[in-house]
Amino acid sequence: MIASLLAQAGDWTSPSIDWAALAPEIVLAIGVNIILLLDLQLAETKKWAIATITGFVLLGSFVAVVVLAVTGDGARSLFDGRYVVDDYALILKALFLLAAYVVVLLSQTELEEGGYYQGEFYVLLVCSVLGMVMMASARDLVSIFVALELLSIPAYMMAAWNKRNRKSNEAGIKYYLLGVFASAVLLYGMSLLFGATGSTKLTDIGAALLDGDLIGLDVVAVVFVVCGFAFKISAVPFHQWAPDTYEGAPTPVTAFFSVATKAAGFVALMSVVFIAFPGADGVYQPLIWVMAALTMTFGNVLALRQTNIVRMLAYSSVSQGGFILMPLAFAGEPGVGPAALNAVIVYLIAYAFMNLGAFAVVIAVTRKTRSGEISSFGGLFSYAPGLAVAMTIFFASLAGIPPLAGWFAKFNAFKAVLDAGTTAAYVLAAIAAVNTVIAAAYYMRVLRVVWMDEAPDGDTSPVKSPAPVVAALAITVLGTIVLGVLPNLIARAGAIDALTGAFAG
Amino acid sequence: MSDATFLEFVVFFSAAVMILGGAVGVITMKNPVHAALGLVLTLFGVAVQFVAMQAHFLAAVQVIVYAGAIVVLFLFVIMLLGVDESMDLSIEPIPIQRPLAAVMAVGLVGLVGAAIVRARDALIIAPGDGIATAADAGTHDANIKQLATNLYGDHVFAFQLTSVLLIVAVAGTVLLTRKWPKDVADTESSDA
Amino acid sequence: MSVYLREYLTVVWFGVAALAIGGLLLGLAALVRPSKPSYDKGIAYESGVDPVGIGWSQSQIRYYVFALLFVIFDVEAVFLFPWAANVERYGTFGLVVMLVFIVLLLDGLVYAWKRGLLRWV
Repeated sequence: MIASLLAQAGDWTSPSIDWAALAPEIVLAIGVNIILLLDLQLAETKKWAIATITGFVLLGSFVAVVVLAVTGDGARSLFDGRYVVDDYALILKALFLLAAYVVVLLSQTELEEGGYYQGEFYVLLVCSVLGMVMMASARDLVSIFVALELLSIPAYMMAAWNKRNRKSNEAGIKYYLLGVFASAVLLYGMSLLFGATGSTKLTDIGAALLDGDLIGLDVVAVVFVVCGFAFKISAVPFHQWAPDTYEGAPTPVTAFFSVATKAAGFVALMSVVFIAFPGADGVYQPLIWVMAALTMTFGNVLALRQTNIVRMLAYSSVSQGGFILMPLAFAGEPGVGPAALNAVIVYLIAYAFMNLGAFAVVIAVTRKTRSGEISSFGGLFSYAPGLAVAMTIFFASLAGIPPLAGWFAKFNAFKAVLDAGTTAAYVLAAIAAVNTVIAAAYYMRVLRVVWMDEAPDGDTSPVKSPAPVVAALAITVLGTIVLGVLPNLIARAGAIDALTGAFAG
Repeated sequence: MSDATFLEFVVFFSAAVMILGGAVGVITMKNPVHAALGLVLTLFGVAVQFVAMQAHFLAAVQVIVYAGAIVVLFLFVIMLLGVDESMDLSIEPIPIQRPLAAVMAVGLVGLVGAAIVRARDALIIAPGDGIATAADAGTHDANIKQLATNLYGDHVFAFQLTSVLLIVAVAGTVLLTRKWPKDVADTESSDA
Repeated sequence: MSVYLREYLTVVWFGVAALAIGGLLLGLAALVRPSKPSYDKGIAYESGVDPVGIGWSQSQIRYYVFALLFVIFDVEAVFLFPWAANVERYGTFGLVVMLVFIVLLLDGLVYAWKRGLLRWV
């Protein structure tokens, strides 16, 4: 009986799996389960241990990434090129893990003092990071979609973490509804792409789109896929969820959204643009050009009018997204591809440090003032000079003032755009230059309040920051300064010739 | 028109009417329960289309998971919120929204429709060329085999991580019903 | 193709038969019975007591929680079918893959159980 069944089994060979290449993901997946089960056993007073364990899980995964990067000889390609661990993937995995670690540091005291659920928060955070780490390697529409859902669905819940607060619930529901809508648009685009090319593998899609003229179906599919990712990176006109979600969600979660989730959206967009869409550059380039120009302008103009610091950072994050998007508008121009890729990666790294840092300062200060209004930051220098200096560093970096990380990132983005040398490139660079000036205005306005104004209620008792927040501040300040002073470090990290499997030129 | 293609046409046409009719019902019905039943019609129509494309397994899954489990979930949500407290949907926060949405919808349908019609010539695939179908394999369970070969072959990693996604869903379910861990005063958190 | 669709014709005949029998019985009853409608006959029967409120009432969240858990394990079953239909083909590799999948989900179930989600309070 069994013999006859086995005889029917047919020619099927199990895929050979390079387990070492999957180590970062496996560590995270095991970590999720450990945290989940441990949370059941721990008494309410010992929940702080969960944050520590989460830190170790992220560290374990980070070590695996570093080992892969050091010992790696070229790209490791799994599942017939559907999952690739190359330099590009590794550097972004490291970025996601580091950003998540800083978010854990920021969340720790916030969760304990606010009386939030703690165990589940870290479970969801690690699940979300697992999705991002997977996204960095995914080279297939199926795994890209699973990764996107894995990183988004926990994020919807984290946005509504403050269950008793109406604004937090609003943040969660808005993010959820628009996120699901974006997933639907993306999925429709993916299904059309599959229908038009007959494959879900990005390299195959790339070959099919390069082969012959684009038909209308390809164009619609490309537009839908790019728009689906545009929701994730909150590019205008798909940004409406961002300010309300950022304001309503707990601040550490906002920091996570504005840096890690956004970076994951960019990673997916880059994988698709560079590997699958070289044949469709005539379609996605104008689309991204318009989105980049609108995103930075709208984000900046609206940020100018905000009086709440978190809302201002939300719009500033939208506008920074426009700058990150800018080089991708010329990704298909001959010879610009590698420069655009580098510019985006460099910007993502620099932006992660400075934006997480800005949120860390806001968290540290609002612990004392209990207010998100910009005016409540008055006199910060007189009673918390350390925080005031840190805030100055982050905001100056966000504004693009040398010699900080943000300056080098902006410089690289401009260089990549000007390399293209077309009229469209010069116009976009001009728009970006004007926006840099507008952005500097509102960053400086906050700094003026911090340095010049008096404390609003005359309360100049010092701010006592808990150790994890101080650690987060130290990491981000160090990152922002070192990357600015030694730009070679970050430039080398971003110096990736091409994504594995991408078509040259 | 031969007998066989006529039969295909009838099946396709009736399923398409079910899908579109159900979809229109979902957005026009005043009673949310009726809207949910419209959704059942749509999902069932999709299952019929799957059958017409020889995807038995997907058709079965479509009926079991979507038309069965997920619509039941929808009905529970509707019952949870209470049907009698229906909101007045005629109030418009932004007046131009609805006409704009209608224009967008028509434009999108036109665009995608035109793209598909024009793609027809470019995408004619001869049998055995490109995506293999169950008919090529000739056996009844070829369909499910094909699916499994993909699922446990090249997409096995994505499949494994789907289980993590399901854990996230369980955690979300727990969060829905869990009591707040610490007794923080409502006034403190509601105005933050 | 037509042979294939003709196999599914059974389903159609089955549906037609269901409709026909139902229609026939109800139609016959409508022909035979006397028809004298009144308001009292139209109201819902609640053990002889006059009904209060309308027919729809708000249900509790625990129904929803069970339905949600059901969907989660329904999806798991969907993944199990293609594997089970041809289990020997995938050998040890398939066994390990499916075990990992099930263990991960069991983990979720244990968690839900310990959190008291399966208790009907």
